[in-house]
Amino acid sequence: MFRILIAALLVGSFSLGGCTKKGRESENTLNVVVSSNIKGLDPVNISDTYSSLVASQMYEGLLHYNYLQRPLKLQPLLAAEMPKVSSDGLTHTFKIRPGMKFHDDQAFPESKGREVTAEDFIYSWKRLADPANQSEAFWVFDGKIVGLNEWRDKMGKKEADYSTPVAGLTAPDKNTLVIKLTKPYYQLHYVLAMSTTVVVPKEAVEKYGKEFLNHPVGTGPFKFESWTRNSQIVMVKNPNWATHTYPTEGTEEDKASGALADAGQKLPFVDKLVVHEIIEDQPRWLNFMKGNLDFVAIPKDNFDGAVQSNQMTEEMQKKGILLSITREPDVTYTAFNMLDPVVGKNENLRKAISLATDTDTLIQKFYNGRAVSAHSPIPPDVDGYDANYKNPYKEYNISKAKELLSKAGFPEGKGAPEIEYSTTSSSTARQMAEYFKQNMEAIGLKVKIDSTSWPQFTTKIREKKAQVWGIAWMADYPDAENFLQLLYGQNVSPGPNGSNYKSKEFDALYEKASKLPPGNERTKIYQQMRDIAARDLPWIPNAHRLGYITYHSWLKNFKYHSIINDYLKYLRVDTKARGEQKANL
Amino acid sequence: MFKYLTRRLLYMIPILFGVTLITFILFNVVGGDPAAQAAGRHATAEQIEVIRRELGLDRPLPMQYLFFVQQIFSLDFGRSWSTKQEITTMFADGMGPSLSLTLPAFILAQIITIALALLLARWRGTNFDRITKVTCLAMMSLSSLVYILWGQYVLAYQWGWFPISGWDNSFAGRWEYLGLPIVIFVLLSLGGNVLFYRTVFLDEIYHDYVRTARAKGLNEASILFKHVLRNALIPIITRVVLQMPFLILGSLLLESFFGIPGIGGIVVQAIQNADFPVIKAMTFLSAVLYMVFQLISDVLYAVVDPKVQLR
Repeated sequence: MFRILIAALLVGSFSLGGCTKKGRESENTLNVVVSSNIKGLDPVNISDTYSSLVASQMYEGLLHYNYLQRPLKLQPLLAAEMPKVSSDGLTHTFKIRPGMKFHDDQAFPESKGREVTAEDFIYSWKRLADPANQSEAFWVFDGKIVGLNEWRDKMGKKEADYSTPVAGLTAPDKNTLVIKLTKPYYQLHYVLAMSTTVVVPKEAVEKYGKEFLNHPVGTGPFKFESWTRNSQIVMVKNPNWATHTYPTEGTEEDKASGALADAGQKLPFVDKLVVHEIIEDQPRWLNFMKGNLDFVAIPKDNFDGAVQSNQMTEEMQKKGILLSITREPDVTYTAFNMLDPVVGKNENLRKAISLATDTDTLIQKFYNGRAVSAHSPIPPDVDGYDANYKNPYKEYNISKAKELLSKAGFPEGKGAPEIEYSTTSSSTARQMAEYFKQNMEAIGLKVKIDSTSWPQFTTKIREKKAQVWGIAWMADYPDAENFLQLLYGQNVSPGPNGSNYKSKEFDALYEKASKLPPGNERTKIYQQMRDIAARDLPWIPNAHRLGYITYHSWLKNFKYHSIINDYLKYLRVDTKARGEQKANL
Repeated sequence: MFKYLTRRLLYMIPILFGVTLITFILFNVVGGDPAAQAAGRHATAEQIEVIRRELGLDRPLPMQYLFFVQQIFSLDFGRSWSTKQEITTMFADGMGPSLSLTLPAFILAQIITIALALLLARWRGTNFDRITKVTCLAMMSLSSLVYILWGQYVLAYQWGWFPISGWDNSFAGRWEYLGLPIVIFVLLSLGGNVLFYRTVFLDEIYHDYVRTARAKGLNEASILFKHVLRNALIPIITRVVLQMPFLILGSLLLESFFGIPGIGGIVVQAIQNADFPVIKAMTFLSAVLYMVFQLISDVLYAVVDPKVQLR
């Protein structure tokens, strides 16, 4: 017995030993954090922000966004120039930049990465369409490229393989790629800047098979080194990368902030990139405060202690901690199921609910003021947004709400059936649901809250069984179409139009806009659609959130936008300053 | 003994069938639609159908259940729907980190609490006993989150005794990160364990054999460690062995706060993502572990107590 005790004690004491901190990271390392675990790194299965961020450092597509320009502007990445588009908008011809190479990997002969060709893009996009890959991202091409859906169907029936041609995807020579569309699709260029449409080498997919998701082989500025699942991913600088240099043009603000000091410099600036997966707020924040992370989004509970009147507190400033505020291209909203016999069929009831919703207090309570009140589905910095637009039902006005409630047939809420508000089971979601309930009680409406897991919540919406619920949408690309499609009649449940809103007028405008290139005419149509949505009120737009990110002053060139994913290559770490400042943290 | 073991092992089969059936039914009743979940936020009805077919969810439910049972017999649980990883690999990768935290912490906690409980039993009714009892009660009343948040903030961040969070996959490197979670694990088990073991020892300490031993002039340490401890082993074994499955399944909160890539985190993610293959593998594994350890504890009763016979 005693021998066992001693042995156990030794194990215990060993475990407590070695608590010293080692500077095991090379000096020029960028430490990034994500607040969720990375699911996988096969581009066809990437659907969340965090996996996108990681994958975008290693993989590249034809286009990407200029790092500094605002509003966002697309520019070539692996494409040599912006594509040539035929006058009917149906043919898009891309020239691939010659000499672009995949990372060196065992998948290639002699482990040397080979040159990227137009065929590689065709192969990569067929993978998106291949039903066996169960890609969530197929929507980007679904029904839009000539012959691709037919190829997908045949693959499902095992009547085709990757050598079966797709009429709409051809490569006349190794550096030319021609995309033929079934109908005009001006969002194509945006989706070609997303992390799911990047190029992957066939050799690596075939060598690693289903394990390809753990062995990324791309063309990007960083190469995969290691991944401890649910802990951290390490990438190292790709020494052969020379696709482009640091941007030479930016805004006046960039000139003032020094973000243009590196104009024309070779990228990337850091030798190593570590992405830490830290789910809990406290360790994420404390690691940042100790200087172990170079930047972080401020957690809700730490906000008041760190930021006052949109500035870092004096104490934080003394530590050399800086703040970046960005407008997120998103919208949070309260949705009504338009098929519901109570809320769906009674416009005045929806309007009364909208007028009784106190968005300003909601923003203070739940976002620490880190959001702007939304008046339409279209968020700031997205084509179609108008900062001066006021939604007539977005003022918080109880007496007007009560008036409309009477018109709806429920004076003072009398005779109104109880409304069911669906939400997820997270504590913030529940608190927000309680707040909605409280708002409605003020006009005499009774609300029952149904809080379930996320899968149950989304299933309920997809099965058209939810009545009223709170949800958000984040932009895939900076075009109002990405938001307005949530109200398009063809997209009703189980599609993304969970409200099941159908309006002939709205749909006709949506279809008209989809055939137009970006420009004034299209923007005007977007705004007409916005007005129709405000009148019919299938949603109450709640808020467009603001991103508050803090970073240490040793981190240079930091300019964040949630749609830009490949930004880590532009960041520079002043290692000397980091060494000095970290000692005082 | 052999007969007993065979019988007990055979009993496990119907129980496991029951477990698989309940898991399967529960998931299909309340789990949400996994195909829609996997199809993502832009999905159309057609895209959801394609994924349903690829996941095998278009087959009749009895067929799906049979497939599940077949997977169990072949011990190949397939791949996660959410992360597309092989489930056996996920568990194999997670078990090491989970056990690196729970095993040393658990052993340490048992030694400390048993020793402390013996001392309390020895000095029953003294101020030392009273103060420790009250402290233990207070410690039990505090939520585990309080220990974690405080430990991380004060011990790691403010005093710098430990790293805030993190992980090193090498065996030698990981202990640096495990120090604080192990300390917190021990603190968390202290209150409940000490009070439990104290009661167990007090039950023993008034027995005739203790009085006889004292009358014979044996010293108190020898009475406590040789006689009382040995006779109190049955409840100790029950408590210790039945906690073993939970050690393998990881410590959810500690893992997620300290960045330990163990099984606890895998389970939470699976539940959040309606990742049925992972959930069913996990449920099955928990049931097997629980039954195996229960059997082990029964066998151990016979080993430590000659009065117990396994028939």
